[in-house]
Amino acid sequence: MSDEELRTDGGGATADTRWNLGGVTIEDAALYLVLAFAAVFYLVPIESGLVTSFKTGTAIIETAPFAPPGPSGFTFEKWQTAIDALLRGMGNSLLYAVPATVISAVVGSITAYGLTIPTWKKSYKAVVLMLIIAGIFIPYQAVLVPLTQFWSQWAQLDQLLSFVWALGISNDYAGIVELVITHVAYGIPICTLLFRTYYKTMSEEMIESARLDGATLRRVYRRIVLPLSGPMFAVVLIYQFTQIWNDLLFTLVLVSTESSPAAPVVLILAGLGTSLEGQDFALRMAGAFFAALPTLAVYIFFGEEFAEGVAA
Amino acid sequence: MATLELDSITKTFQDGDEEIVAVDDVSMSIDDGEFLVVVGPSGCGKSTTLRMVAGLETITAGTLSIDDRVVNDVKSQDRDIAMVFQSYALYPHMSVRQNMSFGLEESTDLPDDEINRMVSETGEMLGISNLLDRKPSDLSGGQQQRVALGRAIVRDPEVFLMDEPLSNLDAKLRAEMRTELQRLQNDLGVTTVYVTHDQTEAMTMGDRIAILDGGELQQIATPLECYHEPSNQFVASFLGEPSMNFFDVTLEDDRLVGDEFEYPIDADVRADLGDASDLVLGIRPEAVELVDEAGDHEFETTVDVVEPMGDENTVYLHFDPDAAPEHASVLVATIDGFNRVSEGDTVTARIPEDAIHLFDRSTGEALHNRSMKDAADQVDL
Repeated sequence: MSDEELRTDGGGATADTRWNLGGVTIEDAALYLVLAFAAVFYLVPIESGLVTSFKTGTAIIETAPFAPPGPSGFTFEKWQTAIDALLRGMGNSLLYAVPATVISAVVGSITAYGLTIPTWKKSYKAVVLMLIIAGIFIPYQAVLVPLTQFWSQWAQLDQLLSFVWALGISNDYAGIVELVITHVAYGIPICTLLFRTYYKTMSEEMIESARLDGATLRRVYRRIVLPLSGPMFAVVLIYQFTQIWNDLLFTLVLVSTESSPAAPVVLILAGLGTSLEGQDFALRMAGAFFAALPTLAVYIFFGEEFAEGVAA
Repeated sequence: MATLELDSITKTFQDGDEEIVAVDDVSMSIDDGEFLVVVGPSGCGKSTTLRMVAGLETITAGTLSIDDRVVNDVKSQDRDIAMVFQSYALYPHMSVRQNMSFGLEESTDLPDDEINRMVSETGEMLGISNLLDRKPSDLSGGQQQRVALGRAIVRDPEVFLMDEPLSNLDAKLRAEMRTELQRLQNDLGVTTVYVTHDQTEAMTMGDRIAILDGGELQQIATPLECYHEPSNQFVASFLGEPSMNFFDVTLEDDRLVGDEFEYPIDADVRADLGDASDLVLGIRPEAVELVDEAGDHEFETTVDVVEPMGDENTVYLHFDPDAAPEHASVLVATIDGFNRVSEGDTVTARIPEDAIHLFDRSTGEALHNRSMKDAADQVDL
């Protein structure tokens, strides 16, 4: 059968089985309908939260959750209150989320490099890799008690860093340092795994070429592997930052009180808008959106590299 | 510039409990400034050999020396070797200029402006000066190839290693680069080991060819020696396109008896054979002639297929016109393009006695080769 015959056949079949309404087939219409429904389904909670955050107390009672507040029920007051309450927590959160993210990404990258590029005994490599990967599967809850024991009895940062408190910084900030170290330790396995997958796909000949060009292992990392890791760094930074920023469990255990000057944003957010008189929904919504801004910013900032890294 | 000496080099890989011998007791010495082509079918160990020279694979046994210095345990970066890879292996995040300066920056203490000067000079030599600020991804395959070459040349190493550098190029560009590479190597005079599976590259480029099969060195000699005086049947069949005709024959007195023909040989040839009686008769397609007269070395054949190439025709001849095609022995002959024969014709083919090769059938060892002198005489130099 010639090509032409094939094409005529295929074309005819399509024309027979599809209704054609001005270029839109019924399948297309159904597809878009489902997509639109799915979009609405996922967006309604966010939209509801957003409009609620701008409502006055009476508007919340009088209007449906997803309906806009109307001119009389509209207020910025809740956002104002939320920002006032959360701003110091934001600073504290950044204080541990940023270093913990960066350090775990860098350490993960170097570890992964050591596990992929240099040639050393495969059987040793496998054992080290297995131990690191096992770390991913340890649930947070399982380490809570040992973790508090460790920080309260084995490594008492409170005393070790006494020279810092002497400078007039509240010794509650020891909790922040503990959070950095804890999150780095917990983040290394997943970071290593992600980077290792990425480095496995790197051209072996390119690395060999660099070695033959006279570069040492360290130089190969700095001049070849690290500059090419951009997309994977974006993935890891976004993932780690979101993870650490949103984590409540470790903050509850290590910092514990929202009244502390070192309280991270999640701790303050947990108590925001709740009182004996009931819940202030608008305030809680405003707080939630405000607290989520940094993670949103990270996505926007690294979005392009992120897409590239996920594709790789 | 250096000599390179491989002495009983062996490489084995461990695959579970099994030991796989990739390179088996290969010895060769490469002279200063020589262009050695290592050729063989895929899996013959040629790339592994090259990688051992580069220091990318460890050497299981044997010694490797560069300029009489044993380098078995010297790291790749300290061997002063440059390698061109099949995939080019350019650094994608660096410009062409950075790609080319990388090696000098890492292996020497030269100041930046000196490195820049050397890169520009090499760029000019290769005709890529206008590409120096581009990224590899913006270059065509041929241009990337040149950059990869430039990256090796600019370092002015003791030894060049090339692993199938031309196999990713299209046919026309490949032929161009082949000539250019030869010219460059001649000008630079750097000892070069060039690995390829392409017998055209092997024949045309090298001062000498080393032919590998199954990890073992089959022959190392000049291209013409390998072609006309192959050391065994593998070498004879590997070089030449179309490849040499082979017929299983048995020696009876002073005749070679095959399934479909008998071939008398004279005393000189007979003397080369010794005690062996199970033989393989080899004849190059271009040595077969179509003639009019009859004789002991002339055979009546039927033309099965004619492949016109323009300058010459490749004809497939059958000794027995009635034999089933899959059982019939085929004699391939290349004849002048103007010599018109067509399918079904009966022609007389001469297998000249001074052009035959005889191999021991069990070992494949060459017992008798056409002499290079005779071969040269025929073309009236």
